[in-house]
Amino acid sequence: MNKPLLTLTGVAKRFDEVEALTHVDLDINSGQVIGLVGGNGAGKTTLLRLMAGVMEPTMGTILFEGKKVSTMRSKLGVVPESTGLYSRLTAWENIRYHSRMYGVPDDIAWNRVSHFSNRLDLTDALSRHTKGFSRGMRQKTALLRALAHGPDILLLDEPTAGLDVTSARTVRSLVGKLRDEGGTVIYSTHHLAEAQQVCDRIVIVHNGTIRADGSPTQLLEQTGKDNLEDAYVALTSDKARARKEDNKKEGKMSKWWRRLLTGRTPNNEEVGEDE
Amino acid sequence: MSNSWRFISTIAKKEIIEFVRDWRTLLALIVIPLLIFPALFIALPLLLQSEAAELDALDLEVVWQGQINDELQLAFNESNLLFTYEEMPTGIENLSDIGDDDERLRLQEVSAIFRLTEDGNASSWKFSILFLSTSEASNEARNRILNAITIWESGVVNGTIVEAGLDPETTLDPVTWDGDINETDAATKGEQAGLVLSLFIPMVIAIWTASSAIQPSIDMTAGERERGTLEALLCLPCTRMQLLAGKWLAVATITSTGVALQIGGLLFAISYLASSSVIGVPAISIASAILLLGAVVIFAIMVVAFELALAMKAHSVKEAGSLLGPAVLFIIFPALFTQVLNLDSIEEWWFAIPLVNILLAMRELLLDRVITEHVVIWVATSIFYAGLAAWFAARQFNREDLVASIS
Repeated sequence: MNKPLLTLTGVAKRFDEVEALTHVDLDINSGQVIGLVGGNGAGKTTLLRLMAGVMEPTMGTILFEGKKVSTMRSKLGVVPESTGLYSRLTAWENIRYHSRMYGVPDDIAWNRVSHFSNRLDLTDALSRHTKGFSRGMRQKTALLRALAHGPDILLLDEPTAGLDVTSARTVRSLVGKLRDEGGTVIYSTHHLAEAQQVCDRIVIVHNGTIRADGSPTQLLEQTGKDNLEDAYVALTSDKARARKEDNKKEGKMSKWWRRLLTGRTPNNEEVGEDE
Repeated sequence: MSNSWRFISTIAKKEIIEFVRDWRTLLALIVIPLLIFPALFIALPLLLQSEAAELDALDLEVVWQGQINDELQLAFNESNLLFTYEEMPTGIENLSDIGDDDERLRLQEVSAIFRLTEDGNASSWKFSILFLSTSEASNEARNRILNAITIWESGVVNGTIVEAGLDPETTLDPVTWDGDINETDAATKGEQAGLVLSLFIPMVIAIWTASSAIQPSIDMTAGERERGTLEALLCLPCTRMQLLAGKWLAVATITSTGVALQIGGLLFAISYLASSSVIGVPAISIASAILLLGAVVIFAIMVVAFELALAMKAHSVKEAGSLLGPAVLFIIFPALFTQVLNLDSIEEWWFAIPLVNILLAMRELLLDRVITEHVVIWVATSIFYAGLAAWFAARQFNREDLVASIS
């Protein structure tokens, strides 16, 4: 068997009081599309950020081909949930900015982008400023940007969230083609059906732990259920925790001042204690 | 090209491209600094001049109460004052007692009321001018009357001196300056120009660097977080320090362009207003010029790094604005304060105070004063403070929650 491309061993991540991830062990092999499936606040985005090397784990190691992932970021292509496009730059300028940062000459980046933009039906929009782009166009541009330097692994954070049916289908189709060409994709989503459609392997993340890891068939066997939805419910039956961002700390002074200037509700109830 | 420089220059180039594509920001940070001093020093005086000329041409109605003096009437000849003559009102304690005349002035029926009476011995006169200080026409009328009285009084005094057999010039001005007063200054024209510039340049550099760096600093940090572009940027293979350096270079370039244009505008305005003998190229040595450039660079490193760090500390553009607005006062106040310090007998410890030291250094260098002890102190302490600001910025850019808090 081939050596894994990305190896996570005993990975944990803590934000103040919140244990975002606990003891994650994962091997990502080349040529697979892996779906990270879980609800809001499950830890998918944190896991992707750790894999992308923009965060350090509190415990454990994340190695890309045996080296610390944060030193191997040039081998990764990342599409964050927010897409992160600059509105005063054209789609091509957004892509070129990133590819230059990866040290890829403009002509090579352009050839790669042209190859994929036809599939995404975005070629005509490359010379346009991204300010007026729809969510779908933004997502496609971010995908092209992540592919322009020829990454070994593509990390996609909820790539179809907020997209219309056609755009979501185009994105899924591109991921399928990348898999057919031997590419490795890690795909985070909270839609089980989508994961089932696109991914060879599904990793179910819930409350910061990996609840299951395997092909759809393996998940059904593991839970003894007839369909993946029942399997997912069985694996994540404990109450989901709040998102980490919802637990953001606020200074005492800020909290007191905010409460002081908050009016009563129509039934004349005072402002309650923050949870 | 090294990787580091490739990262830094690519980031800076992209930031500058984005900046110049926003015409409103360009207008605020480049066009306004270029025009602000010419507008202030050229357009405003021209406006005031035209207003003054307009006022000068006005015929103003004045009431003359009391006695008439023919010589004084002659002095009023070209004053454009239209007099109406009245008896001195009764029941007033002295000529300045406004009595019942205030209503006419308040309603601006007349611009002023001139009262004149001869003193008992016929060799002296008493007068007063009643006016409305809130009315420009009334003030103008008062000034014209005073001018005419000065001319008349001068004639009366000269006549008295001549009657006494004396020479008015030697009697009134017995001690006079001999020769051309402008030739007595040992300072060269270049040194004089340096002195004039030292009153403006450090303050302009300080205030404009601090204020013009705010908007790009916020846009490139908190703005990126708020727009969700920072996470994609942090995924790139550059280090956070390279990211900081790229953004610093972009903000420093934008800010220094604004400062250079503002200084250009200031020099143009001064040279337009004053004769070329007053303002010119300051006569400073190469050492002073190099040190001056160094001072500006260190100042920019310090201010831009400090503002980038504060902006990065914020979670939103709004919060960044609330932090940076008051913080800039800590730069502007020392800039104003430094202008009034006397450089001739200044203690050395002044050159160790953050911000004040660099601004004092700029003033000294524009006067071509390279005092080794001062240079050593301000260079060493400023590099330390700039390093401290860069360290603070680096800490903010290395925070992990930059990624975590933007989703």
